[in-house]
Amino acid sequence: MISIMQSIVATPVVPIDQLLDQVAPSWAQFILWMPLISLALCGLCGAFKVKSKAPAVITIVSLATSFVLTLMLYIGYEGAQIIPIFDWIQIHWSGGSFIANFALYIDSLTLLWMLFVTGLGTLIAIYASEYMEHDVGKGYTRFFAGVSVFLFAMSCLVMGDNLLMLYLGWEGVGFASYWLIGYFYQRPAAVAAAKKAFIVNRIGDLGLALAIYLIWATFGTIQYDGIATALAAHHGDAETFTTFGGWTVHAIPYLLMLAAFGKSAQLPLYVWLPDAMEGPTPVSALIHAATMVTAGVYLIARTYPLFQLDEYALPTVAWVGGITALFAATIGMAQYDIKRIMAYSTVSQLGYMFLGLGVLSSYGAAYHVFTHAFFKAVLFLTCGAIMHGFAGQLDLRKLSGLRKMRGWKIVSYTMLIGCLCLAGFPFTSGYFSKDAILAEAFVTQGPGFKMLGWLAIFTAGLTAYYTFRVWFRVCCGPVHYEPGDELHGDDPATFHPHAPRIAINFVLIAIASGAIIAALPYFMENKTDGLTGGWVAEMVNDSPAKAGVPGAVATHDAHGDHGAHGSILGMDPHKAMYYISAVVGMIGLGLAFFFHLARRKAADSLRSKLLASNATRWLPTAMENKWYVDEFYIATIRTPLWILGKLFALIDRGIIDGLLVNGIAGIPRAIAKWFSPLHNGAVQSYAVSMIGGAALIVLLMMFMPEIMSFLQSTLIGATP
Amino acid sequence: MSPWLLLLIPLFGAVAIFLTKAALSKWISLGVSLFVFVISILMAVQFEQWGSIGTGLRSETSWINSMGLTLDLGADSVSMMLVLLTTLLVPLCVWGSFSAITSRRKEYYAWLLILETAMLGVFLAQDLILFYVSFELTLVPMFFLIAIYGGKNRAHASVKFFIYTFTGSLFTLAGFVYVAWQHSQTGAGGWSFAIHDLTIFASTQLSSTEQGWILLALLAGFAVKIPVFPVHTWLPLAHTEAPTAGSVILAGVLLKLGTFGVYRFVLPMVPEAVVAWAPLIAILGIIGILYAALICWVQDDVKKLIAYSSVSHLGFCVLGLVALNPIGLEGAVLYMINHGLSTGALFFLIGMMYERYHTRDMNMVGGLAKSMPVWSCFMVFFVLASVGLPGLNGFVSEFMCLLGTFVSTADAGQWPGVLGPKYAAVAALGMVLAAMYLLIMVGKIVFGSLKEPDTTDRGSLPVDLSIREIGILAPLAALCIWIGVQPTILTDAMRGSVEKVLSPYPELVEKYRPENTTPIPVITPDSPTPDKEDQHG
Repeated sequence: MISIMQSIVATPVVPIDQLLDQVAPSWAQFILWMPLISLALCGLCGAFKVKSKAPAVITIVSLATSFVLTLMLYIGYEGAQIIPIFDWIQIHWSGGSFIANFALYIDSLTLLWMLFVTGLGTLIAIYASEYMEHDVGKGYTRFFAGVSVFLFAMSCLVMGDNLLMLYLGWEGVGFASYWLIGYFYQRPAAVAAAKKAFIVNRIGDLGLALAIYLIWATFGTIQYDGIATALAAHHGDAETFTTFGGWTVHAIPYLLMLAAFGKSAQLPLYVWLPDAMEGPTPVSALIHAATMVTAGVYLIARTYPLFQLDEYALPTVAWVGGITALFAATIGMAQYDIKRIMAYSTVSQLGYMFLGLGVLSSYGAAYHVFTHAFFKAVLFLTCGAIMHGFAGQLDLRKLSGLRKMRGWKIVSYTMLIGCLCLAGFPFTSGYFSKDAILAEAFVTQGPGFKMLGWLAIFTAGLTAYYTFRVWFRVCCGPVHYEPGDELHGDDPATFHPHAPRIAINFVLIAIASGAIIAALPYFMENKTDGLTGGWVAEMVNDSPAKAGVPGAVATHDAHGDHGAHGSILGMDPHKAMYYISAVVGMIGLGLAFFFHLARRKAADSLRSKLLASNATRWLPTAMENKWYVDEFYIATIRTPLWILGKLFALIDRGIIDGLLVNGIAGIPRAIAKWFSPLHNGAVQSYAVSMIGGAALIVLLMMFMPEIMSFLQSTLIGATP
Repeated sequence: MSPWLLLLIPLFGAVAIFLTKAALSKWISLGVSLFVFVISILMAVQFEQWGSIGTGLRSETSWINSMGLTLDLGADSVSMMLVLLTTLLVPLCVWGSFSAITSRRKEYYAWLLILETAMLGVFLAQDLILFYVSFELTLVPMFFLIAIYGGKNRAHASVKFFIYTFTGSLFTLAGFVYVAWQHSQTGAGGWSFAIHDLTIFASTQLSSTEQGWILLALLAGFAVKIPVFPVHTWLPLAHTEAPTAGSVILAGVLLKLGTFGVYRFVLPMVPEAVVAWAPLIAILGIIGILYAALICWVQDDVKKLIAYSSVSHLGFCVLGLVALNPIGLEGAVLYMINHGLSTGALFFLIGMMYERYHTRDMNMVGGLAKSMPVWSCFMVFFVLASVGLPGLNGFVSEFMCLLGTFVSTADAGQWPGVLGPKYAAVAALGMVLAAMYLLIMVGKIVFGSLKEPDTTDRGSLPVDLSIREIGILAPLAALCIWIGVQPTILTDAMRGSVEKVLSPYPELVEKYRPENTTPIPVITPDSPTPDKEDQHG
């Protein structure tokens, strides 16, 4: 292998543009490797059929190490830097090269994401160690291996220094999600949901792949700093990019959007996320609420300058986000499965984040990602605790008064904290982060942004309603419960819910505290001049997404003068929003209190009244049936394609093979009847004919000049 | 070491098998094929042409001087990689047949070794006739492997396979002979079949009309082999009926004979015709990708599904071949290797399932994760490699083929092409469809509740994979990861060969560029500006 080794050594090392002269801390790569080490050890546990909680311990320790390393990296952070690890894909040819190294790009946006990804990852792994204990010795190892794969892929996605590494992580988290949604692989619904998640995400991945091709064709590189350099050289002017006639820079943001909307479950690609709730609840909390689904927000924030090259790119993001937020909230209002309600709520909240990105509040979007990660995780984890304790029961009509039951206090009150944050109750973390987005909708000039703002405020009211619908139903009222269908052999008549123990309770308290504390960054003093918005603004300001930070000097502002504030009802939007959203939230909460605690029967009678009238029947029906979107996709995409497949299979057998191939083959067969002694089917005669044929060919070759001149004279009529 | 060792050792092995007891035949063939593998590794280590344009491993032997026939052997870096792929897959196939083949063992293993000789002959031949003879010689052992050891419909499948591909390659021979004849007319030294001479002659001396006809003649044989839509229908039949080892060799190596033929003959010999025909070939490739993918979706027979997926996958390879730029062509060569590894492994897996359940119908078996967890892990792994999950091998080559197609525009700087974003965007839909049909397949046979046929006869096999079977799959899995993580080693190694093949193209594409487009060199900041006036002058 000497020569291969030489070619490794001889591979020209591309000089990495040193952003800073400081020495890059190479230990940072272990943030990535720890989950991979954990995966390898889990694999060993699987191979040796370990029947203990060892996989959980391994995973928790390695994820905690990742978290500590991230924290160290954050503390020592002084500016963006690249940490090369190894050469991954380097294709050189004369005149160019395509380079995608396995390297890390650390800036504050990366750190912001990695802090909550590794932090929550560790906590949720601790939770899962108790939650999954029924499966010790069965799927326990597989579960933690999947979590490790996820953390590795997510770290690649967030920390990669180029778009191909992001793509590696992007598909990697999709695969981890497939793995974990399909954890209960004997349940058809889980298998179908896993498949659906992967395939729908692939449509988004297609957008990302095409965007990468376009970016490489346009900028000559897919490394973030290379793209930034190219953009700076063009002074961010879209007209100066002339690749393929200049349309590329206008197509890139829309393709990236497709990717982001797939991974972050926005219209029209959100359909996989509600089904993904078939996975174990810790997975829903970690992947499908707190971390993976925010990858789309990260992608757009990371490539924010590219979105500013097209006039309508960011407004499209805003509108898709705003409409998804409303749409998902209306579905969430009408569901009975509390985990599904949380799933639709996640889709809705992600819509807010995209709204934030679209209305030039990347800061608000990032802050909402951060707070949402905590409060949505705690909501899912409490749902999980309930599901765990009540044998799979998730129907809010069959659970009541948990707050008054022994051992369920922590669950009830941490759920309350999550609900308050999600509903945007004044002075909770969700209140501040949501307001940062809403206010900016009124500040930034854009097509219909004011209307979007009001739409989002209305959605905030719906959010408060459906959130407290859950809490008032499940945690308040008289004590009453029915077990679910996962009894594990218990008798339903003598069923006793088993309350969560120390690991689950500890994690619930820890994350709920996080959800409360997440309000503090808003009040942290800003070091940068003229910057408001606290710690998150500071983090985003040092990244490509800084154009959407309040008070920051935007390098390129596509949407008019950022300094000229709009107003709501004659007030400064930021101030007005504090009052408006508080009032709207209270109205939603009040309605929930009335219908789901004070007069529970009123809700049912309202529903039956609506259903009784021909004029209004469509509304609850459509909402309960999720606006028939799945059915629509099946009818318009899946079924036609499947029929096409069937048709092609028929054509392949009947026409291409049957008519054409066999038809042509029939001609010599007819001729061959003359030579029937040769065609006796025995294999030996084939061999004989082949030798005969070869001899014929040799003869042909020898007389080729004569044959050719004959052919030329007869066919073309000219003598050579 | 002489490359003849690679051809002769398997042949001697086949003779040895005939001379000894049937019980020994599997061990002899395993030993011989492993020995060949070791020799090929040693040759690869000594091979001095990695990354350069030259031909290594040369051996020149005259054969019939009066007709210019020689027995020259040699390999450039791309041939060498395919040689390694072949010598790796053959011992695995032999090992994989230990439990499946119980009768007529002598013939079986002898044919496998003869097949190895023929395949290596194709990759190593430096003489057109030697190439052609080897190319056709692969049909004979494969014919017998299918006809004797195949499934229910084996007679029909084997005859169809033989006649279809044989008929196609007769046209290829006609094309070759025409080139050689023209060469003998103009050259001083009479007949010559040296690939090197004829390539230079055909690419420089023949008119574009002649090149067009030669392209059609050559493709008639190679397109059937690849197979390109619409001449693919022999493949699903042959794959479904072939024994496991036959399918593995068929998918792993025999299909690559077609793409290798395009790489070695079509691209260098008739560049002008390729420039003119590339869009049409690419469109056939794209139709193949989407058409076969949709057919895969509605299959019930797993083996047929994987067979159709080969048609779909090789569409990407075809695109890379006609992208006419280094990234696309390197992607195509890498695709040949990757497809051989991952699809080969999938056929092994299906075979292992078949040996236990004697059915390949997805409605009959399902949920095997419960009964065969190890098998299921491998299945999911190779499906992911096939789907193109980044970090595994399939991704790199698929990405390169599509990227090459994407930037293969007339104004793409130093390496202009005749395709472009439209082609790549449509072909990329194949990525989504591949995920769809492969994951649906996994969802049926790996996951869900366990479903086994009533009459399950595993013979002497354990419920899950035996050590032998894991030993077959593990090296393939390791290679999939290695290529996925370190593809640069391979792409650097093939670089010289690829650029040599492509060397006439930039000028030709420039020559046939539509008049009114202006060159916009933006692919790489440092690429020189192609000067339109100069090229036309």
